Amino acid sequence: MRYAQRIGRLPVFGRKVRLAAAMLVAATVAACGGGEDDGAEASAPKAPATIPTLTQDPLTLSFIWFEWPPAQALEAFANAEYKKQRPNVTIKVNTVPNANWHDAMFTQFAARKTDFDIAILDSQHIGEAVTNGNILDITDFVKQNIDVKAYNPYLLAAYGQFPQAETGQRDENASLYGLPLLGDTWTMIYRKDLIGDKPPQTWDEMISVAEKCQADNPGVSGLAFHQANGSDAAAVTYNTVNGVYGGNLWNSKDRKIDGVLNDQAGQEAMDVLVNKMKPLTAKGSGNWFIDEVNAAVAQGKACIAFQWIAASGGLLDPKQSTLGTSREQILDKLGFATLPSQKTNLVPLGGMGMHISAYAAEANQAEALNFLKWFEQADIQKKWAAAGGVPSRTDALQSPEFLNAQPFNKVYADSVPRMRDMWNVPEYARLVDIENTNVNAALNGAKSPKDALDDIAKEQQKVLDSSGRKGGGGL
Amino acid sequence: MSDPVAPPAPGRSRRVSDRWLAVGFISPAMLLLLSMSVFPLLWALYLSFTDYSATRGGPARWIGFGNYTAVLTSSQVHQRALTTLIYVVGAVALQTVLGFTIAYLISRRTHGRGLLTTLFLVPMMLSPVVVGLFWRFMLDAQFGVVNSMLGSLGLGQVEWLTQRRTALLSLVVVDTWQWTPFIMLIALAGLTAVPKYLYEAASIDRASEWFRFRTITLPLVWPLLLIAVLFRAIEAFRLFDLVYILTSGGPGVSTETLSFHVYKVAFLGFNTGTASAYGILMVLVVIILTQLYLRYLNKLKED
Amino acid sequence: MAVSVDDAVSAGPVRDHTPPARRFGGRGRAVLEVALLTVLAVVMLFPVLWMVETSIKENRDVYAIPAKFFDFKVTVDHFKDVFVSSSGGRSGLSVSFLNSVVVAGVSTVLATVLGVPAAWAYSRFALKAKKDQLFFILSTRFMPPVVVVIPIFLMYRQVGLIDTQLGLILIYTAFNVPFTIWMMKGFVDEVPAEYEDAAMLDGYTRLQAFWKFTLPLLVPGIAATAVFALIFSWNEFVFAIFLTSSDDVRTAPPAIAGLIGGTTVDWGLVAASSVVFAVPVLVFAYLVRRHLVAGVTLGAVRR
Repeated sequence: MRYAQRIGRLPVFGRKVRLAAAMLVAATVAACGGGEDDGAEASAPKAPATIPTLTQDPLTLSFIWFEWPPAQALEAFANAEYKKQRPNVTIKVNTVPNANWHDAMFTQFAARKTDFDIAILDSQHIGEAVTNGNILDITDFVKQNIDVKAYNPYLLAAYGQFPQAETGQRDENASLYGLPLLGDTWTMIYRKDLIGDKPPQTWDEMISVAEKCQADNPGVSGLAFHQANGSDAAAVTYNTVNGVYGGNLWNSKDRKIDGVLNDQAGQEAMDVLVNKMKPLTAKGSGNWFIDEVNAAVAQGKACIAFQWIAASGGLLDPKQSTLGTSREQILDKLGFATLPSQKTNLVPLGGMGMHISAYAAEANQAEALNFLKWFEQADIQKKWAAAGGVPSRTDALQSPEFLNAQPFNKVYADSVPRMRDMWNVPEYARLVDIENTNVNAALNGAKSPKDALDDIAKEQQKVLDSSGRKGGGGL
Repeated sequence: MSDPVAPPAPGRSRRVSDRWLAVGFISPAMLLLLSMSVFPLLWALYLSFTDYSATRGGPARWIGFGNYTAVLTSSQVHQRALTTLIYVVGAVALQTVLGFTIAYLISRRTHGRGLLTTLFLVPMMLSPVVVGLFWRFMLDAQFGVVNSMLGSLGLGQVEWLTQRRTALLSLVVVDTWQWTPFIMLIALAGLTAVPKYLYEAASIDRASEWFRFRTITLPLVWPLLLIAVLFRAIEAFRLFDLVYILTSGGPGVSTETLSFHVYKVAFLGFNTGTASAYGILMVLVVIILTQLYLRYLNKLKED
Repeated sequence: MAVSVDDAVSAGPVRDHTPPARRFGGRGRAVLEVALLTVLAVVMLFPVLWMVETSIKENRDVYAIPAKFFDFKVTVDHFKDVFVSSSGGRSGLSVSFLNSVVVAGVSTVLATVLGVPAAWAYSRFALKAKKDQLFFILSTRFMPPVVVVIPIFLMYRQVGLIDTQLGLILIYTAFNVPFTIWMMKGFVDEVPAEYEDAAMLDGYTRLQAFWKFTLPLLVPGIAATAVFALIFSWNEFVFAIFLTSSDDVRTAPPAIAGLIGGTTVDWGLVAASSVVFAVPVLVFAYLVRRHLVAGVTLGAVRR
């Protein structure tokens, strides 16, 4: 007979196993109880004021960033230019998926061992890294080696200073933990052939122009912007509208979010975003981030779009675009402008700085300091601009090398004095997740705009207030 | 076996050498499991009673059951538990029905069974990353092929991944697509093993098709099917990668499963203590439910 | 004798329990069944076909609305991009494929070396609480990866295994050993212990008997088991994304996931790399099709 049932009687967890488990628990508790951690520092270790002697042996200086064109640009640029000064050094830019960027850096920081020497942190990550002692304090180094007057003080503050108010006032006495690598902000991308050469000047005007454009051009939606619940996508979108309509993210002095974020202005901003802007977007765009917005623009499916400048380069690539067969043809149709203003003219701060891992080998830390010094020179900054980067030194920002490199570079130069960042606090990752998921919920009809905003304020406040709570942190 | 037969030395007491052999053969594997599975789990168990954070460092403070009560009373956790439950029940039920149907239809064919089975099995072999990415592409509301086909049928566009209900449904559909073959495979194994003579006896009795199905086929396949369901339920309960890639929990948090939430607690704020308690509770749920299910299964077999 | 699933997969012995045509509507019913089966097969296979199609389309056709099913220009550029970077050197993806080969290969070998002797010992010897031990071994496999990854992460950082291939290899081995033991125990059970007894009467030791007589008979089973372990390690995503980050360690699943979320998504490249990634798995799965049922149920169901 071929029929043979062979499922054995599946045993039920035996008493002995349970007993053994209990004993092992006791053993582990005893083993782990003492000296759980290897002497964690309370604050960031200091980098030397002067660059130590550099090695002449071959050395690889590693960065960590997320996967996008500037990462490749940086690796190519640094290998071409830095090698002229330091032929024994190779630059390697490790990249991870954008969604995994924060986790990849901070799990390694948590491991007290990093495969990178220079972390390219988002401006708001600095607080978490500094509080945990993950990156070097380079205040003394900067005093000795960097001409701080060459920068808009706000940019130094944004990419290096902690504690840092989100309004970005440079505090001369605060410590610095990084230097700018890539500046960024949003640009408004508009279809010159559909709405005319002149970009809308106010936010309200922008919305009505988009509305008209959508009505006039079937198949093209009025707006395209970031709405996803990953990374900081939907949060930056709301923060931008919030800023433009005169709202505040928090009161940093007494650490108040509830009552500040969801005040009159905040609610108006949420209302504009959900009830006026969202209806002008494409159906199903509720999970769009950088690449989907780019795709919509390149496919000619959006009248007006908002995008990070550093991510806009691909739009001019005729291979990816249906707007034209050459860069010039595409530029006949696409215009780039600074964001419209309403009650204020604030724009979101993007971009990242370079931060030296506290766990890198000494020779690599020395090399990293040397790289920082090299990178922040005026002529190198101009070359970086020509290679597709966005520099931070004022002279480089005003240079023709930068302004002529890309059509949207002038937008950046004009936006610098208008920038506002988010909260730069150790709890950033949680705060931005709360905001992201709730704004995303509101945009996709999973929550009413008012509830979403109140929930953000309430939950974020809870995170700020939760230090000293017993258990359940993170919920 | 090319060795020339060595003159074997008469062994010592066979019992003793057997015992040593067993210990020697089992202990390396056990050692690995103890160090890579059990020890970490016990470590997590210890941490679950502390407020330890992997990034902040510093000593872990003992806080008793604080994390457990926080997890169990958190409305956020309840919401994720409900989402996970809907997902598990929906996906497993759907793929069981579909998988069994396909298996039944295949078992009634005489030609091309091998080819058919092989073809049906392809989705199951793909990496969840590939499955997630590709369905995200196909379900895109604007240029996805699913909406494109709905459009040519004259139906409207569906926002598959960005509406609360449809997003969860999409997860269920994608999971069903990938794992229906699993159920099918096991059901097919059961169906083809039903002894022919039982059917022959029944057809002499002129028993109706439905009667034969109910009294012969189903009872013989049932135990296998139940095991398949158990495997799928456990897997679905710990679902993470599909959510991570397909919806990243959105819109809002409406498709966040328990696993995804644990990840957020563990890696966004590095609340290692809380995340450990959360994880331990998940493991407990799996163990307890599995035990109950197996008891039921064993009782069923005894009857 | 256990019935292998090959009976289900191959055209197999003809079962004619429905004498066609004699029954009223028999033929109509058969047609209906075939039609239903065809529809189901098309639905299940369409995503795979669409993936293959997308991988050979030019990018402008990928986004076309309505979707282009037949009239597009075929290109192999995407496949070239999988292996060759735009600057001409080896692409990051091809490096990650190589990493996957190393990690999956070594962890499979380790799991086999550790698991097979243990399985043999469990099969042959009367051991204390054997069932409990076996169930305990199996249960380690069912822990949610997101939960395991937290303590594993803490453990690895103490010993410096974060972001190393060895770290991934160890955790994959630990996840594959329970499977190997369960699966192999079934194969060992099928080899009569009498062979070894006879050899021992001839003066061989138990170890020699295992090595010279039983092991050669187990080779097909070992091969099948190893292939399943290989597939698991090859497809795994959660540990890979949380325990590794540098380009020269990262395996293919996180690398493929990293193709989206930049500034533009090259869906053609995503599809091509998915195809390249899936092909070895499908080939391997085909090779072990006889043992699929046991393979996907960790050996709990065998026929």
